[in-house]
Amino acid sequence: MASKERDCVEQPQDTPWVLLVYKIPREPTSSRATIWRKLKRLGALLLHDAVWVLPSTPWTREQFQWLAVEIGELEGEAYLWESRLLLNGQADTLAQQFQARVDAIYQEILNEMEREDADLVALSRKYQQVRAQDYSHSALGIHVRERLMSARGGFVS
Amino acid sequence: MKWVTWEQVGVDRMACGWLIMKYLDPQAEFLFVPVGYKPLTEGAEPFDIPGVRLSHHRGHCTFYTMLREYDLHDPVLQRIARAVDEADTVQDVMLEPAATGLDVLCQGLRLISPDDQVALERGRLLYDALYAQFASEPTQG
Repeated sequence: MASKERDCVEQPQDTPWVLLVYKIPREPTSSRATIWRKLKRLGALLLHDAVWVLPSTPWTREQFQWLAVEIGELEGEAYLWESRLLLNGQADTLAQQFQARVDAIYQEILNEMEREDADLVALSRKYQQVRAQDYSHSALGIHVRERLMSARGGFVS
Repeated sequence: MKWVTWEQVGVDRMACGWLIMKYLDPQAEFLFVPVGYKPLTEGAEPFDIPGVRLSHHRGHCTFYTMLREYDLHDPVLQRIARAVDEADTVQDVMLEPAATGLDVLCQGLRLISPDDQVALERGRLLYDALYAQFASEPTQG
């Protein structure tokens, strides 16, 4: 999974979402864990322990589509929708949940940077990973990027 | 022969197109249909479309599947498959830093190309370059 910059979307009221619901055999547990890890890595949100959600972009639709294929190959079953929220305000609430989650990780990076022995290599890798899940282009992310750039040491440009 | 895939080619399909033209079918003719379009053209081999033989399998990209289906065991091709896997699918383990750049360049190549045909054609240079560079480095298991 490489750069996701093209997928950063604004979150107006009528933003479509992609929803994935799936069932997979209990055994082997490694299959279940694989799918779970991939969903986490995509930054998908699990609603009510039932439905996995991502903002709908060509890229997220494609990733969910391939995941659905993989679930089928693991003897499971997956349903994939694109949909819009109908209740007033819920789209904003959902968008905020996505943002809150990436912001929490951005904040972790900022906190860790305060340490004298901060591992900039590890932190910049962590930044790249969270940015791949930052579908709404959080302002905090831009701040973290600037902090990392100025923390790299050496010559001041 | 004819090969058919969905429109808007990216990193995986550019790699597949390169592989087809270079190793499998120098006279290949490519057809591009809208996402989800059915029925697929009779007599054309579909690739990178969900559910077909030459597609994602077990979490691997279509390029990886093609190497397996056509018994291509060149370690340089295997390494390119690793990079395309990392660029195109969700992977826990990231071993090829080139993957991110490869993905971005393929997207950009599609953006500056008038259509998929031209994008695939231009992608060949990119994959020739990647192959040459990987081939010049010590083989990685």
